Amino acid sequence: MKIGPQDVLDALKSVEDPDLHRDIVSLGFVKDLEVGDNRVAFTIQLTTPACPVKDQLAAAARQAVAALGIGDVQVRMTSQVMTPIRSQNQLIPQVKNTVAVASGKGGVGKSTVAANLAVALMRAGAKVGLMDTDVYGPSVPMLMGGNTAPHVVEGKIEPPVEYGIKIISMAYFLPKDEAVIWRGPMLHKTIQQFLGEVRWGELDYLLMDMPPGTGDIQLSLSQTIPLTGAVIVSTPQDLALTVASKAIAMFQKLKVPILGIVENMSYYLCPQCGHREDIFGHGGARAAASKLGFPFLGEIPLDVNVRIQSDGGKPVALDDTTPCGKAFQEIAGALAAQISVANYQVGPEITIE
Amino acid sequence: MQVTPKKIKLAAGIDTLAIEWSDGHVSAYPYRYLRDKCPCATCTGTESLTAAAASPFPMFGVKPLKPDRAELVGRYALQIFWNDNHSTGIYSFEYLRECCPCGKCAVSRPVEDSVPGAS
Repeated sequence: MKIGPQDVLDALKSVEDPDLHRDIVSLGFVKDLEVGDNRVAFTIQLTTPACPVKDQLAAAARQAVAALGIGDVQVRMTSQVMTPIRSQNQLIPQVKNTVAVASGKGGVGKSTVAANLAVALMRAGAKVGLMDTDVYGPSVPMLMGGNTAPHVVEGKIEPPVEYGIKIISMAYFLPKDEAVIWRGPMLHKTIQQFLGEVRWGELDYLLMDMPPGTGDIQLSLSQTIPLTGAVIVSTPQDLALTVASKAIAMFQKLKVPILGIVENMSYYLCPQCGHREDIFGHGGARAAASKLGFPFLGEIPLDVNVRIQSDGGKPVALDDTTPCGKAFQEIAGALAAQISVANYQVGPEITIE
Repeated sequence: MQVTPKKIKLAAGIDTLAIEWSDGHVSAYPYRYLRDKCPCATCTGTESLTAAAASPFPMFGVKPLKPDRAELVGRYALQIFWNDNHSTGIYSFEYLRECCPCGKCAVSRPVEDSVPGAS
Protein backbone atom coordinates (compact mmCIF):
# COMPACT_ATOMS: atom_id res chain seq x y z
CA MET A 1 0.00 0.00 0.00
CA LYS A 2 1.36 3.35 -0.97
CA ILE A 3 1.82 5.81 1.89
CA GLY A 4 0.37 9.26 1.17
CA PRO A 5 0.79 12.65 2.90
CA GLN A 6 -2.38 12.15 4.98
CA ASP A 7 -1.01 8.85 6.32
CA VAL A 8 2.14 10.63 7.44
CA LEU A 9 0.13 13.40 9.08
CA ASP A 10 -2.08 10.86 10.84
CA ALA A 11 1.02 9.11 12.18
CA LEU A 12 2.48 12.42 13.36
CA LYS A 13 -0.71 13.15 15.30
CA SER A 14 0.64 10.78 17.92
CA VAL A 15 3.45 13.23 18.72
CA GLU A 16 2.32 15.67 21.38
CA ASP A 17 3.98 18.88 22.58
CA PRO A 18 4.33 18.29 26.35
CA ASP A 19 3.86 21.97 27.24
CA LEU A 20 1.02 22.88 24.90
CA HIS A 21 -0.73 19.50 25.34
CA ARG A 22 -1.72 19.19 21.72
CA ASP A 23 -0.32 17.17 18.85
CA ILE A 24 2.16 18.80 16.49
CA VAL A 25 -0.13 18.48 13.48
CA SER A 26 -3.08 20.36 14.98
CA LEU A 27 -0.62 22.93 16.34
CA GLY A 28 0.46 23.60 12.79
CA PHE A 29 4.09 22.70 13.43
CA VAL A 30 4.46 20.27 10.51
CA LYS A 31 5.48 21.93 7.27
CA ASP A 32 7.03 21.24 3.87
CA LEU A 33 5.91 17.62 3.82
CA GLU A 34 7.39 15.61 0.95
CA VAL A 35 6.38 12.02 0.38
CA GLY A 36 8.35 9.90 -2.04
CA ASP A 37 9.01 6.21 -2.62
CA ASN A 38 10.08 4.88 0.79
CA ARG A 39 11.18 8.42 1.65
CA VAL A 40 9.50 11.11 3.72
CA ALA A 41 10.87 14.55 4.54
CA PHE A 42 9.26 17.31 6.59
CA THR A 43 10.00 20.26 8.80
CA ILE A 44 8.84 20.72 12.37
CA GLN A 45 8.59 24.43 13.13
CA LEU A 46 8.66 24.99 16.89
CA THR A 47 7.67 28.18 18.68
CA THR A 48 11.15 28.86 20.04
CA PRO A 49 14.73 27.91 19.21
CA ALA A 50 15.23 27.23 22.92
CA CYS A 51 12.61 24.47 23.09
CA PRO A 52 13.77 22.10 25.84
CA VAL A 53 12.18 19.03 24.23
CA LYS A 54 13.36 19.70 20.68
CA ASP A 55 15.35 16.47 20.41
CA GLN A 56 12.59 14.34 21.95
CA LEU A 57 10.02 15.71 19.50
CA ALA A 58 12.31 15.05 16.55
CA ALA A 59 12.95 11.49 17.72
CA ALA A 60 9.27 10.79 18.34
CA ALA A 61 8.31 12.18 14.94
CA ARG A 62 10.98 10.17 13.17
CA GLN A 63 9.87 7.03 14.95
CA ALA A 64 6.17 7.61 14.20
CA VAL A 65 6.85 7.88 10.47
CA ALA A 66 9.36 5.03 10.42
CA ALA A 67 6.67 2.82 11.97
CA LEU A 68 4.71 3.21 8.72
CA GLY A 69 7.46 1.27 7.03
CA ILE A 70 9.30 4.25 5.54
CA GLY A 71 13.00 3.61 5.25
CA ASP A 72 14.28 7.16 4.82
CA VAL A 73 12.83 9.74 7.20
CA GLN A 74 14.27 13.25 7.09
CA VAL A 75 13.22 15.62 9.89
CA ARG A 76 14.30 19.24 9.85
CA MET A 77 13.83 21.29 13.01
CA THR A 78 13.27 25.04 12.72
CA SER A 79 11.61 27.63 14.90
CA GLN A 80 9.61 30.79 14.63
CA VAL A 81 8.98 32.72 17.80
CA MET A 82 5.36 33.80 17.93
CA THR A 83 3.59 36.74 19.42
CA PRO A 84 -0.19 37.00 19.56
CA ILE A 85 -0.72 40.51 20.82
CA ARG A 86 -0.07 42.65 17.82
CA SER A 87 -2.71 45.22 18.31
CA GLN A 88 -1.03 47.65 20.58
CA ASN A 89 2.68 47.06 20.72
CA GLN A 90 3.20 50.17 18.65
CA LEU A 91 6.26 51.32 20.55
CA ILE A 92 8.22 48.18 19.73
CA PRO A 93 6.33 46.35 16.99
CA GLN A 94 9.27 44.16 15.97
CA VAL A 95 9.85 42.80 19.48
CA LYS A 96 7.95 39.55 19.76
CA ASN A 97 8.04 38.92 23.48
CA THR A 98 8.72 41.16 26.47
CA VAL A 99 9.62 39.54 29.79
CA ALA A 100 10.05 41.41 33.06
CA VAL A 101 12.56 39.84 35.47
CA ALA A 102 11.41 40.95 38.90
CA SER A 103 11.69 40.26 42.58
CA GLY A 104 10.24 41.62 45.76
CA LYS A 105 13.52 42.21 47.54
CA GLY A 106 16.76 43.62 46.29
CA GLY A 107 19.88 41.52 46.43
CA VAL A 108 18.40 38.24 45.17
CA GLY A 109 20.40 38.37 41.95
CA LYS A 110 17.81 39.68 39.49
CA SER A 111 20.31 41.39 37.22
CA THR A 112 22.61 38.38 37.16
CA VAL A 113 19.67 36.11 36.36
CA ALA A 114 18.32 38.46 33.67
CA ALA A 115 21.72 38.84 32.00
CA ASN A 116 22.49 35.12 32.05
CA LEU A 117 19.03 34.11 30.83
CA ALA A 118 19.54 36.53 27.95
CA VAL A 119 22.86 34.85 27.15
CA ALA A 120 21.37 31.35 27.41
CA LEU A 121 18.49 32.26 25.06
CA MET A 122 20.95 33.82 22.63
CA ARG A 123 23.07 30.66 22.67
CA ALA A 124 19.94 28.63 21.90
CA GLY A 125 19.54 30.67 18.72
CA ALA A 126 17.11 33.44 19.67
CA LYS A 127 17.48 37.16 18.96
CA VAL A 128 17.62 38.75 22.39
CA GLY A 129 17.61 42.23 23.91
CA LEU A 130 18.25 43.20 27.52
CA MET A 131 16.78 46.37 29.03
CA ASP A 132 18.11 47.46 32.41
CA THR A 133 15.26 49.45 33.95
CA ASP A 134 16.90 49.81 37.35
CA VAL A 135 17.56 53.48 36.92
CA TYR A 136 18.92 53.98 40.42
CA GLY A 137 21.29 51.02 40.48
CA PRO A 138 22.00 49.98 36.87
CA SER A 139 24.37 47.02 36.89
CA VAL A 140 23.74 45.25 33.60
CA PRO A 141 26.50 46.77 31.42
CA MET A 142 29.12 45.79 33.98
CA LEU A 143 27.80 42.19 34.02
CA MET A 144 27.95 42.04 30.25
CA GLY A 145 31.36 43.56 29.68
CA GLY A 146 30.45 47.20 29.12
CA ASN A 147 32.85 47.55 26.24
CA THR A 148 30.65 49.35 23.76
CA ALA A 149 28.71 52.57 24.06
CA PRO A 150 25.41 53.56 22.48
CA HIS A 151 25.34 56.04 19.65
CA VAL A 152 22.64 57.89 17.81
CA VAL A 153 21.44 56.72 14.40
CA GLU A 154 18.70 58.69 12.60
CA GLY A 155 17.56 60.32 15.80
CA LYS A 156 17.27 57.11 17.79
CA ILE A 157 19.66 55.25 20.05
CA GLU A 158 21.51 52.30 18.60
CA PRO A 159 22.05 49.99 21.57
CA PRO A 160 25.46 48.48 22.32
CA VAL A 161 25.76 44.77 21.58
CA GLU A 162 27.58 42.41 23.96
CA TYR A 163 27.70 38.67 23.28
CA GLY A 164 25.15 39.17 20.52
CA ILE A 165 22.63 40.81 22.83
CA LYS A 166 21.38 44.40 22.43
CA ILE A 167 21.55 46.22 25.75
CA ILE A 168 20.19 49.47 27.09
CA SER A 169 20.83 50.85 30.57
CA MET A 170 20.90 54.13 32.44
CA ALA A 171 24.55 53.35 33.16
CA TYR A 172 25.41 54.20 29.57
CA PHE A 173 24.05 57.71 29.92
CA LEU A 174 25.41 58.82 33.26
CA PRO A 175 28.94 59.48 34.40
CA LYS A 176 30.03 56.71 36.77
CA ASP A 177 29.86 58.70 39.96
CA GLU A 178 26.61 60.46 39.33
CA ALA A 179 23.37 59.36 40.96
CA VAL A 180 19.90 59.52 39.49
CA ILE A 181 17.75 61.48 41.90
CA TRP A 182 14.39 61.53 40.17
CA ARG A 183 10.71 61.47 40.94
CA GLY A 184 8.08 59.34 39.25
CA PRO A 185 7.30 61.24 36.04
CA MET A 186 10.98 61.15 35.03
CA LEU A 187 11.04 57.38 35.50
CA HIS A 188 7.94 56.99 33.36
CA LYS A 189 9.57 59.09 30.66
CA THR A 190 12.70 56.95 30.83
CA ILE A 191 10.69 53.78 30.26
CA GLN A 192 8.95 55.33 27.27
CA GLN A 193 12.28 56.41 25.82
CA PHE A 194 13.93 53.04 26.43
CA LEU A 195 11.04 51.49 24.53
CA GLY A 196 10.25 53.97 21.81
CA GLU A 197 13.54 55.66 21.09
CA VAL A 198 15.92 52.71 20.98
CA ARG A 199 16.57 50.83 17.74
CA TRP A 200 15.82 47.35 19.10
CA GLY A 201 15.08 45.94 15.65
CA GLU A 202 13.61 42.47 15.35
CA LEU A 203 13.86 40.57 18.62
CA ASP A 204 12.43 37.24 19.75
CA TYR A 205 12.79 38.13 23.42
CA LEU A 206 13.36 41.43 25.21
CA LEU A 207 14.26 40.75 28.83
CA MET A 208 13.75 43.63 31.24
CA ASP A 209 15.72 43.71 34.44
CA MET A 210 13.45 45.46 36.97
CA PRO A 211 14.45 47.38 40.06
CA PRO A 212 13.44 45.68 43.30
CA GLY A 213 9.95 46.17 44.65
CA THR A 214 6.69 47.32 43.16
CA GLY A 215 7.08 50.93 42.12
CA ASP A 216 6.86 53.43 39.31
CA ILE A 217 8.97 51.49 36.87
CA GLN A 218 6.96 48.27 37.15
CA LEU A 219 3.74 50.24 36.81
CA SER A 220 4.97 52.29 33.86
CA LEU A 221 6.11 49.18 32.06
CA SER A 222 2.87 47.30 32.67
CA GLN A 223 0.83 50.25 31.43
CA THR A 224 2.91 51.20 28.42
CA ILE A 225 3.17 47.83 26.71
CA PRO A 226 1.29 44.53 26.94
CA LEU A 227 4.01 42.51 28.71
CA THR A 228 4.25 38.87 27.67
CA GLY A 229 4.90 37.97 31.30
CA ALA A 230 7.08 38.19 34.38
CA VAL A 231 9.72 35.94 35.90
CA ILE A 232 10.07 36.16 39.68
CA VAL A 233 13.54 35.65 41.17
CA SER A 234 13.83 34.65 44.80
CA THR A 235 16.33 33.14 47.19
CA PRO A 236 15.18 30.07 49.13
CA GLN A 237 14.56 31.90 52.39
CA ASP A 238 11.03 32.48 53.57
CA LEU A 239 11.69 36.19 53.86
CA ALA A 240 12.61 36.60 50.22
CA LEU A 241 9.48 34.71 49.25
CA THR A 242 7.12 36.69 51.46
CA VAL A 243 8.34 39.86 49.81
CA ALA A 244 8.37 38.24 46.38
CA SER A 245 4.68 37.52 46.80
CA LYS A 246 4.11 41.29 46.76
CA ALA A 247 5.65 41.47 43.31
CA ILE A 248 3.50 38.52 42.24
CA ALA A 249 0.35 40.23 43.55
CA MET A 250 1.25 43.39 41.64
CA PHE A 251 1.64 41.59 38.30
CA GLN A 252 -1.57 39.70 38.88
CA LYS A 253 -3.44 42.94 39.48
CA LEU A 254 -2.06 44.30 36.22
CA LYS A 255 -2.98 41.06 34.43
CA VAL A 256 0.63 40.27 33.54
CA PRO A 257 1.08 36.47 33.44
CA ILE A 258 3.60 34.98 35.87
CA LEU A 259 5.79 32.87 33.60
CA GLY A 260 7.56 31.23 36.51
CA ILE A 261 9.66 31.41 39.65
CA VAL A 262 13.43 30.95 39.78
CA GLU A 263 15.31 30.04 42.94
CA ASN A 264 18.67 31.79 42.93
CA MET A 265 21.50 31.06 45.40
CA SER A 266 19.79 27.71 45.82
CA TYR A 267 22.69 25.84 47.44
CA TYR A 268 26.46 25.93 47.59
CA LEU A 269 28.59 23.26 45.93
CA CYS A 270 32.20 23.20 47.06
CA PRO A 271 34.41 23.07 43.93
CA GLN A 272 37.15 21.22 45.86
CA CYS A 273 35.33 18.37 47.57
CA GLY A 274 31.83 18.58 46.08
CA HIS A 275 30.19 19.04 49.50
CA ARG A 276 26.81 20.75 49.28
CA GLU A 277 25.62 23.31 51.81
CA ASP A 278 22.17 24.93 51.74
CA ILE A 279 23.37 28.30 52.97
CA PHE A 280 20.10 30.15 52.42
CA GLY A 281 17.91 27.11 52.88
CA HIS A 282 16.70 25.21 49.85
CA GLY A 283 13.54 24.55 47.95
CA GLY A 284 11.47 27.37 49.38
CA ALA A 285 10.82 28.87 45.97
CA ARG A 286 9.78 25.54 44.45
CA ALA A 287 7.37 24.95 47.33
CA ALA A 288 5.91 28.44 46.93
CA ALA A 289 5.52 27.99 43.18
CA SER A 290 3.68 24.74 43.75
CA LYS A 291 1.44 26.27 46.41
CA LEU A 292 0.61 29.33 44.29
CA GLY A 293 0.17 27.33 41.11
CA PHE A 294 2.98 28.89 39.09
CA PRO A 295 5.60 27.10 37.01
CA PHE A 296 8.91 26.53 38.77
CA LEU A 297 11.62 27.24 36.23
CA GLY A 298 14.68 25.98 38.09
CA GLU A 299 17.40 26.41 40.69
CA ILE A 300 20.70 28.20 40.33
CA PRO A 301 23.44 27.20 42.76
CA LEU A 302 25.77 29.57 44.55
CA ASP A 303 29.07 29.49 42.77
CA VAL A 304 31.98 31.76 43.39
CA ASN A 305 32.59 31.76 39.66
CA VAL A 306 29.34 33.64 39.10
CA ARG A 307 30.74 36.54 41.07
CA ILE A 308 34.23 36.33 39.59
CA GLN A 309 32.96 36.20 36.02
CA SER A 310 30.27 38.81 36.56
CA ASP A 311 32.87 41.19 37.93
CA GLY A 312 34.90 40.48 34.83
CA GLY A 313 31.95 41.05 32.53
CA LYS A 314 31.71 37.45 31.33
CA PRO A 315 28.33 35.89 32.14
CA VAL A 316 28.59 32.27 33.37
CA ALA A 317 25.85 31.20 30.98
CA LEU A 318 28.41 31.35 28.17
CA ASP A 319 29.69 27.97 29.37
CA ASP A 320 26.95 25.39 29.85
CA THR A 321 29.34 22.73 31.19
CA THR A 322 29.53 24.41 34.60
CA PRO A 323 26.71 23.77 37.12
CA CYS A 324 25.57 27.40 36.89
CA GLY A 325 25.86 27.58 33.13
CA LYS A 326 23.84 24.40 32.81
CA ALA A 327 21.23 25.70 35.26
CA PHE A 328 20.77 28.85 33.18
CA GLN A 329 20.50 26.82 29.99
CA GLU A 330 17.74 24.66 31.45
CA ILE A 331 15.89 27.60 32.98
CA ALA A 332 16.05 29.48 29.65
CA GLY A 333 14.47 26.44 27.94
CA ALA A 334 11.75 26.23 30.58
CA LEU A 335 11.11 29.97 30.26
CA ALA A 336 10.86 29.78 26.47
CA ALA A 337 8.36 26.93 26.83
CA GLN A 338 6.26 28.93 29.30
CA ILE A 339 6.29 31.94 26.96
CA SER A 340 4.89 29.72 24.20
CA VAL A 341 2.24 28.38 26.56
CA ALA A 342 1.28 31.90 27.67
CA ASN A 343 1.06 33.09 24.07
CA TYR A 344 -1.25 30.22 23.13
CA GLN A 345 -3.56 31.21 25.95
CA VAL A 346 -3.98 34.83 24.94
CA GLY A 347 -7.40 35.60 23.54
CA PRO A 348 -8.03 37.36 20.25
CA GLU A 349 -6.91 40.92 19.63
CA ILE A 350 -9.02 43.62 21.21
CA THR A 351 -10.32 45.96 18.53
CA ILE A 352 -11.33 49.52 19.19
CA GLU A 353 -13.50 51.27 16.64
CA MET B 1 -9.57 32.42 31.75
CA GLN B 2 -10.27 36.03 32.65
CA VAL B 3 -13.08 37.82 30.88
CA THR B 4 -11.64 40.48 28.59
CA PRO B 5 -13.14 42.79 25.99
CA LYS B 6 -13.15 41.55 22.42
CA LYS B 7 -14.41 44.67 20.73
CA ILE B 8 -14.86 48.20 21.95
CA LYS B 9 -17.19 50.47 19.99
CA LEU B 10 -16.78 54.12 20.81
CA ALA B 11 -20.00 55.13 19.05
CA ALA B 12 -22.48 52.31 19.38
CA GLY B 13 -25.86 53.99 19.28
CA ILE B 14 -26.99 57.31 20.72
CA ASP B 15 -24.31 58.62 23.09
CA THR B 16 -23.30 55.07 23.96
CA LEU B 17 -20.02 53.19 24.21
CA ALA B 18 -20.35 49.43 23.87
CA ILE B 19 -18.03 46.57 24.86
CA GLU B 20 -18.38 43.04 23.53
CA TRP B 21 -16.80 40.75 26.12
CA SER B 22 -15.03 37.44 25.57
CA ASP B 23 -17.79 35.54 27.37
CA GLY B 24 -20.41 36.88 24.96
CA HIS B 25 -21.84 39.53 27.28
CA VAL B 26 -22.39 42.99 25.77
CA SER B 27 -22.22 46.14 27.88
CA ALA B 28 -23.64 49.47 26.73
CA TYR B 29 -22.48 52.52 28.66
CA PRO B 30 -24.13 55.93 28.16
CA TYR B 31 -21.31 58.50 27.77
CA ARG B 32 -22.37 60.63 30.72
CA TYR B 33 -22.60 57.55 32.97
CA LEU B 34 -19.13 56.36 31.95
CA ARG B 35 -17.60 59.81 32.29
CA ASP B 36 -19.02 60.15 35.79
CA LYS B 37 -17.49 56.76 36.62
CA CYS B 38 -14.00 58.05 35.81
CA PRO B 39 -11.70 56.38 38.36
CA CYS B 40 -8.86 58.93 38.19
CA ALA B 41 -7.56 60.56 41.36
CA THR B 42 -9.01 63.95 40.52
CA CYS B 43 -12.51 62.64 39.97
CA THR B 44 -12.56 60.26 42.89
CA GLY B 45 -10.64 62.51 45.27
CA THR B 46 -13.26 65.23 45.36
CA GLU B 47 -17.00 64.87 45.44
CA SER B 48 -17.49 67.74 43.03
CA LEU B 49 -19.51 67.25 39.90
CA THR B 50 -17.79 67.14 36.55
CA ALA B 51 -17.43 70.56 34.92
CA ALA B 52 -20.26 70.27 32.43
CA ALA B 53 -22.85 69.24 34.96
CA ALA B 54 -21.74 72.01 37.31
CA SER B 55 -22.71 74.69 34.83
CA PRO B 56 -26.18 76.09 35.56
CA PHE B 57 -26.84 76.57 31.85
CA PRO B 58 -25.65 73.32 30.26
CA MET B 59 -27.30 74.09 26.95
CA PHE B 60 -25.12 77.12 26.26
CA GLY B 61 -21.68 76.51 24.75
CA VAL B 62 -21.09 73.03 26.09
CA LYS B 63 -20.52 70.57 23.32
CA PRO B 64 -22.15 67.17 23.71
CA LEU B 65 -19.91 64.77 25.60
CA LYS B 66 -18.30 61.98 23.62
CA PRO B 67 -15.05 60.00 23.61
CA ASP B 68 -12.60 61.16 20.95
CA ARG B 69 -10.54 58.00 21.16
CA ALA B 70 -9.51 55.22 23.52
CA GLU B 71 -6.30 53.29 24.00
CA LEU B 72 -5.45 49.99 25.63
CA VAL B 73 -3.30 50.27 28.75
CA GLY B 74 -0.94 47.31 29.18
CA ARG B 75 -2.98 44.16 29.30
CA TYR B 76 -5.60 45.23 31.76
CA ALA B 77 -7.29 48.56 31.07
CA LEU B 78 -8.68 51.17 28.72
CA GLN B 79 -7.78 54.85 28.72
CA ILE B 80 -10.60 57.02 27.38
CA PHE B 81 -9.86 60.43 25.87
CA TRP B 82 -13.05 62.45 26.32
CA ASN B 83 -13.82 65.55 24.26
CA ASP B 84 -14.10 67.64 27.45
CA ASN B 85 -10.29 67.26 27.62
CA HIS B 86 -10.38 64.78 30.42
CA SER B 87 -8.22 61.71 29.79
CA THR B 88 -6.56 60.74 33.05
CA GLY B 89 -8.99 57.94 33.82
CA ILE B 90 -7.63 54.40 33.42
CA TYR B 91 -10.64 52.08 33.40
CA SER B 92 -9.54 48.54 34.19
CA PHE B 93 -11.49 45.82 32.37
CA GLU B 94 -12.54 44.50 35.76
CA TYR B 95 -13.90 47.90 36.72
CA LEU B 96 -15.72 48.31 33.40
CA ARG B 97 -17.40 44.93 33.78
CA GLU B 98 -18.30 45.76 37.38
CA CYS B 99 -20.13 48.91 36.34
CA CYS B 100 -21.97 47.43 33.36
CA PRO B 101 -25.34 49.16 33.66
CA CYS B 102 -27.45 46.43 32.10
CA GLY B 103 -30.31 44.87 34.04
CA LYS B 104 -28.73 41.45 34.41
CA CYS B 105 -25.53 42.83 35.93
CA ALA B 106 -27.33 45.39 38.11
CA VAL B 107 -29.43 42.65 39.68
CA SER B 108 -26.42 40.55 40.68
CA ARG B 109 -24.45 43.46 42.09
CA PRO B 110 -24.38 44.54 45.79
CA VAL B 111 -25.71 48.06 46.51
CA GLU B 112 -23.20 50.70 45.31
CA ASP B 113 -21.77 53.31 47.59
CA SER B 114 -21.81 56.91 46.46
CA VAL B 115 -18.14 57.45 45.56
CA PRO B 116 -17.45 56.30 42.01
CA GLY B 117 -14.53 53.97 41.65
CA ALA B 118 -14.19 53.06 45.31
CA SER B 119 -13.82 49.31 45.83
